[in-house]
Amino acid sequence: MDTADLGHHISSRFNEDLDRLRNSVLAMGGLVESQLQRAVEAVVRGDSELGLAVARDDQRVDRMEIEIDQACSRIIATRQPAAGDLRLIMAIIKAITDLERIGDEAEKIATLAARLATMERPADRYRELASLAGHVQEMLRAALDALARLDTRAAVETLAMDQAIDREYDSITRQCITFMMEDPRTISRVMNVTWVARSLERIGDHAKNICEYVIYMVHGRDVRHLDEQRVAREFAPGVVDGQG
Amino acid sequence: MAPGLLPALAWRVGLALLAALFLGLTLGGLAWWLFAATLGLLGYLVYSLWGLERWLRTGKRRSRAESDGVLGAIYADIMQLRQRARRRKKRFHRLLREVRDSTDAMHDGGVILNADMEIAWLNDAASRLLGLDPARDQGQHITNLVRHPDFVAYIEEAEFSEKLKMPGPRRNTHLSVQLIPYGNQQKLLIVQDITREVRLEHMRRDFVANVSHELRSPLTVIAGYLESLGDERSLDEVWRQPVAEMQRQVARMNSIVHDLITLSRLEAAERPAGQEPVDVPDMLDQLHREALTRRERPSELELRLETTARVRGEEQELHSVFSNLLNNALRFTPPEGRIECRWWQDEEGVHFSITDTGIGIPETLIPRITERFFRVDSGRAREVGGTGLGLAIVKHALLRHGGRLEIRSRPGEGSTFICHFPTARTVLPPPEAEAAAPSPG
Repeated sequence: MDTADLGHHISSRFNEDLDRLRNSVLAMGGLVESQLQRAVEAVVRGDSELGLAVARDDQRVDRMEIEIDQACSRIIATRQPAAGDLRLIMAIIKAITDLERIGDEAEKIATLAARLATMERPADRYRELASLAGHVQEMLRAALDALARLDTRAAVETLAMDQAIDREYDSITRQCITFMMEDPRTISRVMNVTWVARSLERIGDHAKNICEYVIYMVHGRDVRHLDEQRVAREFAPGVVDGQG
Repeated sequence: MAPGLLPALAWRVGLALLAALFLGLTLGGLAWWLFAATLGLLGYLVYSLWGLERWLRTGKRRSRAESDGVLGAIYADIMQLRQRARRRKKRFHRLLREVRDSTDAMHDGGVILNADMEIAWLNDAASRLLGLDPARDQGQHITNLVRHPDFVAYIEEAEFSEKLKMPGPRRNTHLSVQLIPYGNQQKLLIVQDITREVRLEHMRRDFVANVSHELRSPLTVIAGYLESLGDERSLDEVWRQPVAEMQRQVARMNSIVHDLITLSRLEAAERPAGQEPVDVPDMLDQLHREALTRRERPSELELRLETTARVRGEEQELHSVFSNLLNNALRFTPPEGRIECRWWQDEEGVHFSITDTGIGIPETLIPRITERFFRVDSGRAREVGGTGLGLAIVKHALLRHGGRLEIRSRPGEGSTFICHFPTARTVLPPPEAEAAAPSPG
């Protein structure tokens, strides 16, 4: 994978700058991961205090996005990167936007959690929601790991996880509709649940974008809006052939 | 065993020269024959050396030229050296494998990091606990793959004397990690799986919280009936005293339950506390005034506010810190004693101290005094009331504010409790508030 090799620059300061940039993007990713994890916990445990704390901490994500954005502009202005380095920076600029959106969705979930905590809790303690959230968290982690390792194979595998998440989201939505039809008194609560599920599903989409940037960064090919099967065949032969 | 290089050479040179001599003497042209023999010898030597070189390059284990030929001895020596090196390599391999097997058998994860915090090596447990790939992740910055914000902050602060607890990358797992610097700027990251401990701790906390909540409603009912019973005129005089005692005990039980709930909330809360500036001087002033209105109190009760500095945190928690300390002092100080409170600031931060001339605490018991329900003198403490949870609440609330509790005491002479708040938690009030604030006294 020497197309994305960062190790050979005459200027070692440039190298350090790029390394630091990558580290801070992943640190932002870590913060977003923990925001999501705590937001989900707030929903499942019905902890309104935790929910509000998560919503407050979203500013930290926003601050990091601005910092990294500025660092990227600075590198472009002072170093005029080309080829792989330019792709790295472009991909990072895009990735932080997605990370920031994930942070926003986590904030939404946390706010909804605070609201849900004041309502009656269902007997299953939002088991379906917790399962969907688990898969979304896993996907986000896999996407960030692929970004850290510049691993296109893992990125392609992660892209495929989105379908399972979409299916799960659909089934939760259907279930929610059934609940609302059976007992109109639950409508306001169940509406909140569908919004949480919707936010989780959106996070899956953002994680998918991050995987696409990884492929772009390594191979220089933009695979957005391409057929997934083709992407899989091209960049990770033999990985996801049986799926879909 | 091949003969040495010199005998083998001497024998061949001798034979060639003899043959040249014989041919030269019988056929004539001795000089030419000798020249031809020398040339032949030279050619033979060059050929042999070329063979040796080829053998060394291709590295075949056995060669036809091994024992015969002029270089037989050198071949043999090289073979021996090779064999020895092979044996040594095998031994190192075995040793390495043993070390690797034993570290892989460890339950705790170990990751070796270089000076730049990049992964140099890790064992099986570490890759399982942290979700790392031993084959590919060498050279990666550790925080690129272990991304939890607490961990990133831990690495950045470079303060490794304490362990860090954090959620693991797999769902519902909890890890305890510690970094141990050693050798030439290298670091060993020890990772332990504490999922079970955390779960047990959660269960214990939930249990205490649930029990306390469940006890609250029956207590309210009992307290209500006791109150109306106490007010009942037709109540027999014999029962007045017991009912009053029951009321007192129910009130005590209520405050224990209340403190238990406070404590379990403090324990369950995420560290650290919020960042709202709290006007501590004002709060202390109010507490002081309340204490002055008590009927039973030490004759001298003084408050010295030497700074208007405020503390960032949760108002309610700070209130329970100061009120618990003040109540303790009031409880254990005789009417002729004296209590002195002080609020001051220095370069380390702001501090609150409360000194009393009460009964004091034996030195050996000071470390245990913040334990739940710990009593220095159980009979006496129960007599004066109190829940036995006050100092535990103080300790936990201070921890959440980045502060700590210091206790100095001598039995019979009195005690001093000092709360230290770090500078990071200190704020000065806005100037207009300072001007508008009534001077405390």
